[in-house]
Amino acid sequence: MRTPLGLVVALALGHGLVVAAPDAQDVLAASDAIRNPGRSFSVTVTLTEFQAGKQVDTSTLTTYARAQEQGGQFASLIRFVLPARDAGKLMLKNGNDLWFYDPATKASVRLSPQQRLMGQASNGDVVTVNMAKDYRATLLSEEEVQDGERRKRNAYKLGLAAAAPDVTYPTIEIWIDAENNRPLKARFFAESGRLLKTAYYRRFQQQLGTERPTETVIIGRLGPAIGNLVALLGVFGSTGSRDLAHRDYLPRFQPE
Amino acid sequence: LTISVRYVLVFLLAAVGFAGAPALADDPDDAALSLGSAPVKSSQTGRESRLLGEGAIGIGDRRDGTGNDFLRRISIDFNYLGTITPGWRAVLSDRLDVIKPNEFGADTVTNSLREAYLSWQPDGASTVVDVGRVNLRYGPAYGYNPTDFFRDGTLRTVTSLDPLTWRENRLGTVAIHGQRLWSNGSLSLAFSPKLENEASQNGLSLDLGATNNRDRGLLVLSGRLSERLSGQVLVYKESGPQVDFGASATALVSDAVTAYVEGARGHEPDLFSRTIGALEPLTTRNRLAAGLTFTSAGKLSLTGEYQYNGFALGDAEFAALGRNSPELQTAYVQTALQRQELASRRAWMVYVTQKSLGLKNLDLTALGRFNAGDHSWLCWVELRHHWDRFDWRCSCSSKAETMTQLTARFPNGDPPG
Repeated sequence: MRTPLGLVVALALGHGLVVAAPDAQDVLAASDAIRNPGRSFSVTVTLTEFQAGKQVDTSTLTTYARAQEQGGQFASLIRFVLPARDAGKLMLKNGNDLWFYDPATKASVRLSPQQRLMGQASNGDVVTVNMAKDYRATLLSEEEVQDGERRKRNAYKLGLAAAAPDVTYPTIEIWIDAENNRPLKARFFAESGRLLKTAYYRRFQQQLGTERPTETVIIGRLGPAIGNLVALLGVFGSTGSRDLAHRDYLPRFQPE
Repeated sequence: LTISVRYVLVFLLAAVGFAGAPALADDPDDAALSLGSAPVKSSQTGRESRLLGEGAIGIGDRRDGTGNDFLRRISIDFNYLGTITPGWRAVLSDRLDVIKPNEFGADTVTNSLREAYLSWQPDGASTVVDVGRVNLRYGPAYGYNPTDFFRDGTLRTVTSLDPLTWRENRLGTVAIHGQRLWSNGSLSLAFSPKLENEASQNGLSLDLGATNNRDRGLLVLSGRLSERLSGQVLVYKESGPQVDFGASATALVSDAVTAYVEGARGHEPDLFSRTIGALEPLTTRNRLAAGLTFTSAGKLSLTGEYQYNGFALGDAEFAALGRNSPELQTAYVQTALQRQELASRRAWMVYVTQKSLGLKNLDLTALGRFNAGDHSWLCWVELRHHWDRFDWRCSCSSKAETMTQLTARFPNGDPPG
C-alpha cells in the first residue's frame, strides 16, 4: 500500500514542479534587462581577437543603441574607434536596414545581413540584441552549466526561435542563472543549424543601475581556416539618445 | 593595342604593433575563458585627425611601346574634423602628391585641397548648413555614378588605378549646402557659384576653376521607403534653361544580396562634341548604372554592374575612331577622364573582394571591366596586408590603350572585418 501512495505523492509533486516552472519568455525578458539598460545607451567595446591562443588583433568600437518606439528592439549605430585605419567609420542597423559609412569616401552603402555577419559589428550584436522581443523562448531544461568565471551554476536552458524575419541569428540557445536571471552562456546558430558563435557573459559589475556583464567571451566558428575567435567586450559607457533613423544621418554623426 | 602593365608597391608609413599570446587549453571554450582582455580604449574628444604618409614604387610600360619607366611617388594625406563650439564643426582635408615621372606632363608636386568648410547644426542633427569647399557625392553605384552631378573636373592626380582612391582624392566644390533631416528622409539644397573660368595647371593652386567654373544648383530628396528599399530624387540646374533630373534606389534582395540602380536624364553636348570644343548642339539623353552585390559566408563579396552613357560614342563609332584617329580617340578618353564619364556607350564591370585570404589580415581586391566600344578588358588586382598603423599593398593591372579604366570609380571601402 505504501508504494502506490508514494507514487501518487511523487506524481503530485512532479505535477506541482511543472506548474511552478518559470515562464521562459519572462526569464528571457529578465535576462535582457540585465544585459541591456532597457533604454537608449552607449557601450564602448574593445575586441581582442585570438587565433590558436595568440592575440592577433584588437579594435575598439562604440555602439549607440536606441530603443525603438515600436517593437522594443534597438536601432544601433556602431562607430569604429581603433585601429586608426578604421577610425570614424560608421555602421547603422535598423532591423534589416543596414548601412556602412566611410568618411574618407563620403559614401553610405547598403549592406546585406551576410556582410554584417562576417565583420566585427556582429559581435556588437551579441551585446545589444533584445532577445525577448525577437524570439519565442522555450524552456528546454534546468541544468548545471559552467559560467564565464568557470563556476558551476544552476541554469535554465532556453531555446529561442526567431519571431521576426530580420534577426541576425535565426536560433539561439541561452543558459540563464536560475537564481538571479543573469545570462551565463549563449550559442548562436545560422539558418542551416551551424553553430556560429558561443558567448560567455562574465565580470558582472554595477553599471547603469544594476549588475551587468562587462565582458563577453565570444568563441567564433565561422570556418576552419579562421580558428577560434575571441572577443572580449568592455564596459558600459554613458547613456545617450540619438536619432538613428536612416543613412542621411550618418555623415552628420557627432560622437559625444 | 598597346598594353601597359604596372606593378605598384605601396607602403603606408606608420608603426606596427603586436601583443602577447596566452596559452591554449584542450577544450576550446575553456581555452577561451582563460584568455585576458585588452585594455578598454576610447577616444571621445570631439576631434578627429588623421595624418597618412604613403610611398610607392613601381614599373609602368610607356604607351608608345618605347620601354618602361621606374615610377616613384610620395604622398601626404591629412584630415581633420573638430567641434569648434556646440553646433559648429570644422572640416579640413588635404593631400599632397609628389610623382615622378608624371605621365600627364603636369607638375610633379600637386596639392589637392579636397575639403575646407564650416558646418552648422543649430538643433542637433535635424538641420545642417555647410559653407566652404565640400564634397557633395551622390549615387549608390560602384563604378559609374550618373547622379553624382558634381563629379566633373574633381581629380587633380591619378595616383592609383584603384577606383576607391579616385573617390577619396577628389576635390570638393565651393558651395553653400543646407539639409533638413527627418525620421525617414531628408531634403537638401546646394548652390555652387562660379569663381574661376578654367582649371589651373599650377600644382599648388586651389584649382577653383576645376570645380567652380559655372553656377550650379542641386536639390536632393532622400527617403527610406521601407526597411528594404530607399531612394533619392535629384534636380540639377546649371546656368541656362536646361534642368537635369536623376533618381537612384537601393534594395535588400535577400540576406546575402543587395541591389542598386541610378539614372539621370540630361540636356547637354555629347562627349565627342566636348572633346573637339563644340558646345552645340545640345542633346537630351540618359545615363544609367545598375548592379547587384552578393556576399558569401566566406567573406567573399562579388559585385556585377551594368553601365550606360547615352552621351558617349556608340560601339561602332568608338571602334572606328580608334582605327581612323587614335590621337583623337585618346583626347576623347582624356575628356571622359576629366569629366569622370563613361567613354563607351556601354560597359560591364565585376568587382571582387576577399577578406582574410589565407591570412587574417590579407585582403584581395580585383576589378574586371569590359568596354563594349572596343571589346577591351581592364583587369586590376591588389593584395593588401594591414597592421594597426601600417599597410602593405601590391597591385598590378593590364590596361588597354583606350584608358577606359580611368573612368571607373568606387564608392567606398568595405566594412571593417
